[in-house]
Amino acid sequence: MKWMTTCKETTELASRAMDERLPLPDRLAMRLHLAVCNNCARFAQQLQEMRRQFRIETSDKDDAPGLAHEARQRIANELQKKLGS
Amino acid sequence: MNRLDANTWLTEHGDYLFRMARRQLHSDELAEDAVQETLLAALAAQARYAGDATPRTWLTGILKHKIIDLIRRQLREVELPRDADGEEAVDSLFKQDGHWAEPIRPWGNPDTEAELSQLRRALDECADRLKPAMAQVFSLREVAGMETAEICKELGITPTNCWVLLHRARLFMRHCLELNGFSKVGAA
Repeated sequence: MKWMTTCKETTELASRAMDERLPLPDRLAMRLHLAVCNNCARFAQQLQEMRRQFRIETSDKDDAPGLAHEARQRIANELQKKLGS
Repeated sequence: MNRLDANTWLTEHGDYLFRMARRQLHSDELAEDAVQETLLAALAAQARYAGDATPRTWLTGILKHKIIDLIRRQLREVELPRDADGEEAVDSLFKQDGHWAEPIRPWGNPDTEAELSQLRRALDECADRLKPAMAQVFSLREVAGMETAEICKELGITPTNCWVLLHRARLFMRHCLELNGFSKVGAA
């Protein structure tokens, strides 16, 4: 193992660490790099932040567009068909 | 004990279900399909509702399955990116020696509602811009929270392939947010 991974390699490790527990050598290599590299440390933090934001449930206050009028009508009709039958 | 009233589902939970679906399916039409299929399935399954979850939670559970079904169907139709796809774009973010080409700027702490919804909008827009298959894999992992092993199995790809896709998707997402000026939001 090289004594120090590059930033590019570190982003691969940081990304994989979001998906599974890294093998010990990889984990140590990543920690070592993150301890001395602000850019990669921020990158790793931002991956966590992205996930946190994506996993926050949407709420009624969400201002993303809701169902379009036509779609709502269409779905209501489909439901009525089933309810009526 | 909660009760179900199918007549109120669309008015009370329609927008909520749509937004959840839209965030993962990256298409208005597919998200509308997901809502419709969810409500129809809910109607058929009403008898099995035990009343221990709120109607919204119960509907959301059905929606999650429908979203995964729709993504599965989608993935059969789109081509999975090959290993070489996006390699150049990744390389352009780094110098030859593997250092970042541009410094990674800190993100602010979005704490007002307006800043938060600006961030969410940017996240959704950036995810929409990923290549279709990459967007789906990214969403299954980051939004739906599926394990990578499950995702690989669904897609019939190797774990290494999955990590490559996710690594690229994450690099692009982060870069896209920065291009959208996100690093300035709330930054000190």
